[in-house]
Amino acid sequence: MNTQPNFTPAETALGGVLPHRRMEAWKWTDVRKTLKGGTGLTLVCEPHFEIPEGVNVSRETILPKTSVMGAIASRFALESIVINVPEGFKSTQVLRISNLEKGHASLCIKLAKGAVLHVEEVHKTSVSGFVNLDMQFDLAQGAKLTRTIFHHDHAETTRIATAHINAWADAEITQHTLSFGAALTRFETRVALLGANIKADIHGAYLLGDKRHVDMTSYIDFSNESAIVRQSVKGVVSDKARGVFQGKFHVRRPAQFTDAEMRHDALMLSDTCEIRAKPELEIYADDVACAHGNTIGALDESSLFYMRQRGIPLGQARSLLTQAFVADAFETMEEGAKEDFLTRISTWLEARL
Amino acid sequence: MIKIKNLTATVNDGQQTILNGLDLEVPAGEVHAIMGPNGAGKSTLSYVLTGKDGYDVTDGSVEYLGEDLLAMEPEDRASKGVFLSFQYPLEIPGVPTMTFLRTALNAQLKSRGEDPMTAPDFLKKARAIASDLKIKPDMLRRPLNVGFSGGEKKRMEIFQMMMLEPKFIIMDETDSGLDVDALRIVADGVNALRSPDRGMLIITHYQRLLDYIVPDRVHVLSAGKIVASGDADFAKKLEKEGYDEYAA
Repeated sequence: MNTQPNFTPAETALGGVLPHRRMEAWKWTDVRKTLKGGTGLTLVCEPHFEIPEGVNVSRETILPKTSVMGAIASRFALESIVINVPEGFKSTQVLRISNLEKGHASLCIKLAKGAVLHVEEVHKTSVSGFVNLDMQFDLAQGAKLTRTIFHHDHAETTRIATAHINAWADAEITQHTLSFGAALTRFETRVALLGANIKADIHGAYLLGDKRHVDMTSYIDFSNESAIVRQSVKGVVSDKARGVFQGKFHVRRPAQFTDAEMRHDALMLSDTCEIRAKPELEIYADDVACAHGNTIGALDESSLFYMRQRGIPLGQARSLLTQAFVADAFETMEEGAKEDFLTRISTWLEARL
Repeated sequence: MIKIKNLTATVNDGQQTILNGLDLEVPAGEVHAIMGPNGAGKSTLSYVLTGKDGYDVTDGSVEYLGEDLLAMEPEDRASKGVFLSFQYPLEIPGVPTMTFLRTALNAQLKSRGEDPMTAPDFLKKARAIASDLKIKPDMLRRPLNVGFSGGEKKRMEIFQMMMLEPKFIIMDETDSGLDVDALRIVADGVNALRSPDRGMLIITHYQRLLDYIVPDRVHVLSAGKIVASGDADFAKKLEKEGYDEYAA
């Protein structure tokens, strides 16, 4: 029997089936189950931009999207916000995107040949809401994109943020994500390495308390030679929170001399928290160096005792060790932004440990 | 300074008794050495005195400066001056040595109700001690003990000890992993800390260390209790004749 599932009120409002646990890519992040209400789901998101001089913003018709959440975003966002970064562009100013508080948005940031851009995204809500962002970054030859993503939502917020990064030869991508989770959050990064000699550093950390959930999913499609990719995600989960990491390197036959490493390491600070991890390698090229690693554990008791023996109280010892563990993910970040992230992490830890 | 009476401790949920009615007294100003065969309970004694989890004290008492030491948390024992130089110092990845030590020192000062040490004063003191111990400044910026050799880790323990200026020092096999030159440097550091208001307990397998740090008393620990005691010359006798006579 082939029956259409009954729509939830949210699905009725959004006009289609939402990702749920029976879909492999969404098995640990069940949007259908979390997104119960049928109101406030179809709003248009109006991001605020701080635009560096020389970069222009326009609005264009949205092209159809294939992913479930992308298709929903294009249905309700009405227009796509397109940011063009001209050839050879370089600036000390950061492109800052904020007010991503509710509704759907479709963004496209195009870096022309040799352009260098730092994008800072602030994903934040102070009241509960639903946010669905579909972003695209096109990097022409030799373009350099730095993406810094900060996420701190209201506990009841549901947020899906998907980024498609298409990179051509000699492009460089540096991405750092810091997330404190929400009712349901998914940061998905899909990178297509189309040209040769691309460098990508894709790092992140999540620190979760209460019943918060974050999903860091990435898919990197290697289709040309000599890419160098480093990925490291650190997780700290406590209370009844849940952290999800799904990472995939898909190395196609032409992608010879690929050098790629993926790591996910998580600390569980309570008996009731949860970590779900799925690191994957799918390799068709025969001359590559690819590795993946995944660890889940608790703070080392011997290290804690050693620190206490020196007079450091237990809470502070746990905080120091955890901070050091997480900080590793932000090693390659620029100094100012790094300090900001580390301060936010220590504030979070001090309030909890 | 420290009075240990009939100390009995077990591990593995009481299945194994490691310390079995141990009596020992170390007065302020004295250095006592504890020697003994493998498995006698030497390291266990150091862990029980510093409060490591996994060791259950089933009988006896430890009085430290008039207080019940066993009732205190490990960090409170440290703040009151108990310091253990670990046999195997831990690596603390991601925490620079100086950050670690300044955090420890200021936590101890805070716990004693004293003002924290300012950064310039701390640096000045650290540089002077590091230079005495022939520790390169670059080691102090690296994460604590990460990638250090066995000897460097031991020297770092002495560095921490000299920075924290504890009152009662336990040294667990500090000589293992040290070459003769390093041993001399470490011993000089320890000897510099000898004072009328400080007590020390030196746990060692070999008499070698005691040539450099001459103890006031030497005890033999066997099967969880002190079975013989003597003066510094007693250690030489033990080295020559072995522990067979005292074996359980």
